[in-house]
Amino acid sequence: MAKKVLLIDRETDHAEALKTFIQRLEYDVTCADNVDGVNTSIARRTWDIIIADPFINDTMVDCLESIKKSQPLVQLIILAKRDRLDCAMETFESRAAHYLELPVNSKALDLALASAAKTISLNRRISRYSERLADLHNAQTLLSQLFEEVPCYISVQDRNLRITTTNKRFKYHFGGQIGGFCYEIYKYRTSPCRDCPVLQTFEDGKSHSTEEVVTSKFGKQYNVLTRTAPIKDENGQIILVMEMSTNITQIRQLQDHLISLGMMIGSMSHGVKGMLTALDGGIYQLEKGLSQKNDARVLKAFGQIQTMSEKIKKMVLEILYYAKSRELQYREIEVADLADNSVSTIKPMAEDNDIILDISMPENLGSIEVDPNWMEAALVNFLENAVDACISDRDKKELILRFHVTQPNDDEICLIVEDNGIGMDTETKNKMFTLFFTSKGSQGTGLGLFIAHRVIKYHGGSVTVTSQLGKGTQFSIRLPRKKPDNAKTVEFPKTER
Amino acid sequence: MKKKILVIDDDFNIRDYIVSLFDDNGYDTYVAGDVKEGIEVAKAEKPDLITLDIEMPGEWGPRFFSQLSQDPELKNIPVIVITALSGHEHAIVKAVASLSKPFDRKELLKIVQETIH
Repeated sequence: MAKKVLLIDRETDHAEALKTFIQRLEYDVTCADNVDGVNTSIARRTWDIIIADPFINDTMVDCLESIKKSQPLVQLIILAKRDRLDCAMETFESRAAHYLELPVNSKALDLALASAAKTISLNRRISRYSERLADLHNAQTLLSQLFEEVPCYISVQDRNLRITTTNKRFKYHFGGQIGGFCYEIYKYRTSPCRDCPVLQTFEDGKSHSTEEVVTSKFGKQYNVLTRTAPIKDENGQIILVMEMSTNITQIRQLQDHLISLGMMIGSMSHGVKGMLTALDGGIYQLEKGLSQKNDARVLKAFGQIQTMSEKIKKMVLEILYYAKSRELQYREIEVADLADNSVSTIKPMAEDNDIILDISMPENLGSIEVDPNWMEAALVNFLENAVDACISDRDKKELILRFHVTQPNDDEICLIVEDNGIGMDTETKNKMFTLFFTSKGSQGTGLGLFIAHRVIKYHGGSVTVTSQLGKGTQFSIRLPRKKPDNAKTVEFPKTER
Repeated sequence: MKKKILVIDDDFNIRDYIVSLFDDNGYDTYVAGDVKEGIEVAKAEKPDLITLDIEMPGEWGPRFFSQLSQDPELKNIPVIVITALSGHEHAIVKAVASLSKPFDRKELLKIVQETIH
């Protein structure tokens, strides 16, 4: 599109000659010969270039200054006679693009117009860039807001798993250590996690997801669902990986409650099965008694059926009214019986897998106040864990499970479950009592040791663990002999054992 | 001569039921309420078959298997497990059959007949 030129000249002939010349150079030219004409022209349209002699009357200088103010991008070419040229330059300084002497040299005018046209093009490009830059800035602000406010923990990591960027939520829960290793900040580990999804994404460029248990800077553990995404440069090379972790702790807690409910139903169903069998027995006796016309047998059967229906009624009421929680049912039992019963459960499994059981208990261990069902279930869990650790070890010639009971003092007993199986790494050791954490893949539920640990704690006891990868594990369980004063209610049901 | 069956269960009502069932079907029956008693009766009577509940107070059912297998005179006696437990398959691999409570009478009698006739 032709650039619009306003030509201001008092001498009509000179103006016409210039106009013809400029039009030939393919500009769209309009002439004005006084301030009124100029004002009318200015009001009508915008101009790219104004060619003017500022000294045609007393007001033209002010008029040109005013145009330059309202249209700062307009290119001003000043025409002046030789004796007024210096005055013109002093007046307009750099606000005018060119100063030409009258009479005008056509070549000089041509070059001045070309230069002005070039400046106009440049100005337009700069203006477009500025607009785009503003758009870009707005988009960046929006994205940055999304990044900061998105309700999950976001970190961006390099190939060494060093964190380069984090969002607000991440910083709040895990600190703002840019440059720290992901595994250090999230998990207090000294080396990368096994099957790290970020490293996998660096390798194959695909998104990966895992479920992790992370520890916040406040020491709180969260279950998080982690997903990764590659960040590529203009050549398509992966330079960084973004890791987004959604906190699903509440969902897991809900699952915990559901599982508790499921376990309780399992426990109840065990009792119901026994009662139904006895009820079956009553019906059988009744049938036989009737067919044999044996009144005594009928009477006995009737009594049995009545007893069983009462028991079933009681149990159903228990489910309905007491399903939520139960008190631990403390009883004084012999420590030796508790230990014997627990070991006998895992003995067949140990024998089937050629695991040597080394059991040692001093005589006269005395008694202890516990809920026998819960405590046996907990000890069996530790023992089963030891058996599993041995079974998973394929290197050792001799697998040994030691179960020692000691009396460190008059008020406590100590049960030590020790195996020379696969052992645990630091992460597994730190998290083994966390709900749903399992090192056994699909073979484990992540419930066993969580419940066992809770049972010990609710009995006022403690569990200490030492473990070395490849060497074995030792659980040392200390239990008070007497029921603790602050005995708690368990919020999960009786197990089947 | 009647075949002898030893019924081991700590629940009196269930024990009584199984014993009546076997009595009515022409077997001689013996009872025990726990593992220890079960081993004693087995040694004394040398039954042709044993039914065993694996969840009992004191020594748990699987211990019965290990004690039985240590005695050369008893180790070949077939054992049928009758249990309300689930998920303890490793404890009952040595049983000739395993029935869940409440069990089917006809199925139990059929297994017994096939095992000891």
